[in-house]
Amino acid sequence: MKYLKIAILAIVFPLMTAYAPAHKFYVSTTNMEYVPKKKSVQIITKIFIDDIEKVLQKRYDPSISIATIKEKEKDIEYLKKYILQKLKVTINGKPAKLDYIGREYDIDIVNIYIEISGVNDLSSIAVKNEVLLDLYKEQQNIIHIKTPDMRRSFILDSHNLKDMLNFN
Amino acid sequence: MKLLKCLSLVILFLSAGTSYAQDQNNGNEREPGHTNNNRFKQLYEEFSTPNQYRSASGAPGPNYYQQRADYEMNIELDDENKRIYGAEIITYTNNSPDPLEYLWVQLDQNVRAKDSKSPLIEPSGAAPADAAGSFVQQHMGAAFDGGFNIQEVKNEKGDDLPHTINRTMMRIEMPQPLLTGEQFKFSIKWWYNIPNHTIDRARSGYEEFKDGNRGYVIAQFYPRMAVYNDVEGWQNSQFWGRDEFALPFGNFEVNITTPADHVLDATGTLQNRKKIFSKEMMNRYEEAKESYEKPVVIVTQEEAEAASKGFSKDKITWKFIAQNVRDYAFASSRRYIWDMMAVKQNNGNDVMAVSMYPPEGNPLWEEYSTKAVASTLKSYSRMTFDYPYPKAISVHAKNQGMEYPMICWNYGRPDEDGNYSERTKYGMISVIIHEVGHNYFPMIVNSDERQWTWMDEGLNTFVQYVAEQDFGEWYPDAIAPNTKYPSRRGPAKNIVNYMAGDQDYIAPIMTKGLNTYSFGSNAYGKPATALNILRETVMGRELFDYAFKVYANRWKFKHPTPEDFFRTMEDASAVDLDWYWRAWFYSTEYTDIGVKDVKRFYVTSKMNQQVRDMMEARGMQESDLPPLVYMVEEGSDDYEESMKNASLDDVTTLQEYIMDNLSSEERKNLKKPNYFYEIVYEKPGGIPMPIIAEYTYSDGSTERVKYPAQIWRKNDKEVGKVIASDKEITKIVVDPDEETADIDTENNSWPKRKKLGDFDKFKNKVEE
Repeated sequence: MKYLKIAILAIVFPLMTAYAPAHKFYVSTTNMEYVPKKKSVQIITKIFIDDIEKVLQKRYDPSISIATIKEKEKDIEYLKKYILQKLKVTINGKPAKLDYIGREYDIDIVNIYIEISGVNDLSSIAVKNEVLLDLYKEQQNIIHIKTPDMRRSFILDSHNLKDMLNFN
Repeated sequence: MKLLKCLSLVILFLSAGTSYAQDQNNGNEREPGHTNNNRFKQLYEEFSTPNQYRSASGAPGPNYYQQRADYEMNIELDDENKRIYGAEIITYTNNSPDPLEYLWVQLDQNVRAKDSKSPLIEPSGAAPADAAGSFVQQHMGAAFDGGFNIQEVKNEKGDDLPHTINRTMMRIEMPQPLLTGEQFKFSIKWWYNIPNHTIDRARSGYEEFKDGNRGYVIAQFYPRMAVYNDVEGWQNSQFWGRDEFALPFGNFEVNITTPADHVLDATGTLQNRKKIFSKEMMNRYEEAKESYEKPVVIVTQEEAEAASKGFSKDKITWKFIAQNVRDYAFASSRRYIWDMMAVKQNNGNDVMAVSMYPPEGNPLWEEYSTKAVASTLKSYSRMTFDYPYPKAISVHAKNQGMEYPMICWNYGRPDEDGNYSERTKYGMISVIIHEVGHNYFPMIVNSDERQWTWMDEGLNTFVQYVAEQDFGEWYPDAIAPNTKYPSRRGPAKNIVNYMAGDQDYIAPIMTKGLNTYSFGSNAYGKPATALNILRETVMGRELFDYAFKVYANRWKFKHPTPEDFFRTMEDASAVDLDWYWRAWFYSTEYTDIGVKDVKRFYVTSKMNQQVRDMMEARGMQESDLPPLVYMVEEGSDDYEESMKNASLDDVTTLQEYIMDNLSSEERKNLKKPNYFYEIVYEKPGGIPMPIIAEYTYSDGSTERVKYPAQIWRKNDKEVGKVIASDKEITKIVVDPDEETADIDTENNSWPKRKKLGDFDKFKNKVEE
């Protein structure tokens, strides 16, 4: 029954855009994919620009501006600092080093690219994501994990900051 | 004899098919039976039976009825104490065949009452940190004192009427049942504290500006009649804060008293304009009525800023009449700039496109708001009907996106220096198009929002996509350097992430909004995309647009249900769409179609082993069969290298048939395909969608074939297609334009292509 094993390529959870509903939803999405060939865990975190801008302004400097003509290099340094503080990954029981690759903007969303290299073997992965929880207690951070053999999703929020998957 | 031979051929292949099926049955165990689980099964079980109120065609039935509620209201906005005081007389008309013992009135403000149950249904946990204000609100008992204070409910004679408040609903008992055709007149007096909508994210309230002035965007401010109809009886499902409203139509006579220095606009036509407007404003207004290209400012920024410095103790009363509306709302502030322009409708009538905004909205609002309103009216009217109201107003309120008849609140604010990003600009134009568009759905095509969020949000978001694309076409300078308006919702590929998501967090579109997980994708994005795909890929624009227009016109100023929409779309187009509704609206299935296998075949007159085996198994002789053309798969036992270069001319049986049966003229027109392929398409996804196949040939030419969705009707997993071609096929791509929301495109190409993932693409770009 191979065809029942549904291969889902993109597992990005929907981001609520604020266009239409009267109430905005506080959601971020993080896709993590383990690519054994590259010994790498590839991470793309998607966050609403206005949310991330607001939290950086509150934490660091009210003049911070993201994705506008006023954006400065230091603003992106703050973005990098913040995301690496709030997103923690443990691989095979050991804290992993997250390398910030870069960011790009997609209308109202910023995609942040992060990589964990040198992952020879993946037996467990734990993710803690506190992004925006210091700003909105309703914030939900959705995590999708994909390996060649499986995919799993979980939602992290104020009463469940961390979740873990074991592969063995 | 010939007949017999053909018959034996049928038997040969029929039984071959059967034996194949039996092989699958591996062994002795007999499979149990089953009910109809075909994806193309009619929707009789899901749809209610058509009746005298609602016809099978999707149109209102011969006995369709709807109730009516007319309002006379006196409202006072107390700017100093942030309160609304109101008194209303409601005239309720019972057009139903049923006698009514009581009436239900909606008290939506009570969702913010201290004893509101709305917070109680939200699960909560201890947060690592909490905003101080929110902490006080939640844990220290300083809750906002919201909700209606109902002071009196009286009949026409002034006697108190017995009434019971059940949270956001109030039952009013009448002295005797209200019979068909009868009217009941009663009055209510109330007041409430206006919430700060920037704190509790309400659909109405005030925003306090830095200078201490407030912008009021006021709605759900009066006790409103609930809908009584043939499908729900009284729509008295409570307002929990998410699922919006169900309201009957009626006429409104509303007098609103504000401080004398306020600027106000509202649902309906202003009756005492001459008294309220200065001479200057009146002249500008007359000019605006003739201005079809750009807005004319009625109250300038300088005037608004000058007014903001005072606080008048005097009062003025704005008198409005609104006809045939389901609701009423207004916006008021001394800090509003006001501009207007005229929009010509197809029927020759003019409609005013209006914007009201504080200086905080500029320079964005003066540039785009009224333009976006005008553009929306044109697009929506083309897709549905001429806009029947005299005006459409877009009011700027921080973080708001909310719709009412003729008036809506919209976000999109530059920073304090007046700078704004592209994101802010597009967010603002999109929300204006969306909220003004709500005039059509659900303000006029008045579906029940409390039950079916998608019926207004989904349909509206679909037309919003069409209108956004129009806006980009009509105002190319506004969207430069983009060449197309960057629509977030509508294009098929934008819904893939949602539909491919964790099934635990997805609900079918046909779910009450309150109970869905990803509200935005469920009620807005997915139905809008489903309709867009239906229009572009399944039905075609011509058939879709006609049927969609029929639906809008049939249910204009009426109360449609989901089935009325589904039935009309089929009835007016002769496209059977039960399978489409079932898959896209009644389930969480997704699209995934791919190429599984491609086999090349050669034609010969030499009998192949497969047919020989079948014949022997059935005890038939070669002479029992008519002349046959045999297909040999490349690489199979019967395959010979020489077949590669053979042509159809070498196939004796075929040549004999052609010579015997066709005239020389007919022979000349015959195609000479030399390449035969059996292509197997697979469908790991549940939704049966058309297979859009693009074949690329060795000479570089391409050909697109669309196999209708019904190709999946007998085999839901895979189907084969034989292609006879005079050119070699070098490539096959399924859904090359990504128009079906296929969630996995890894299987969409033959030969298989490994696509670079988003991460690698980005990393390569950064490293370059």
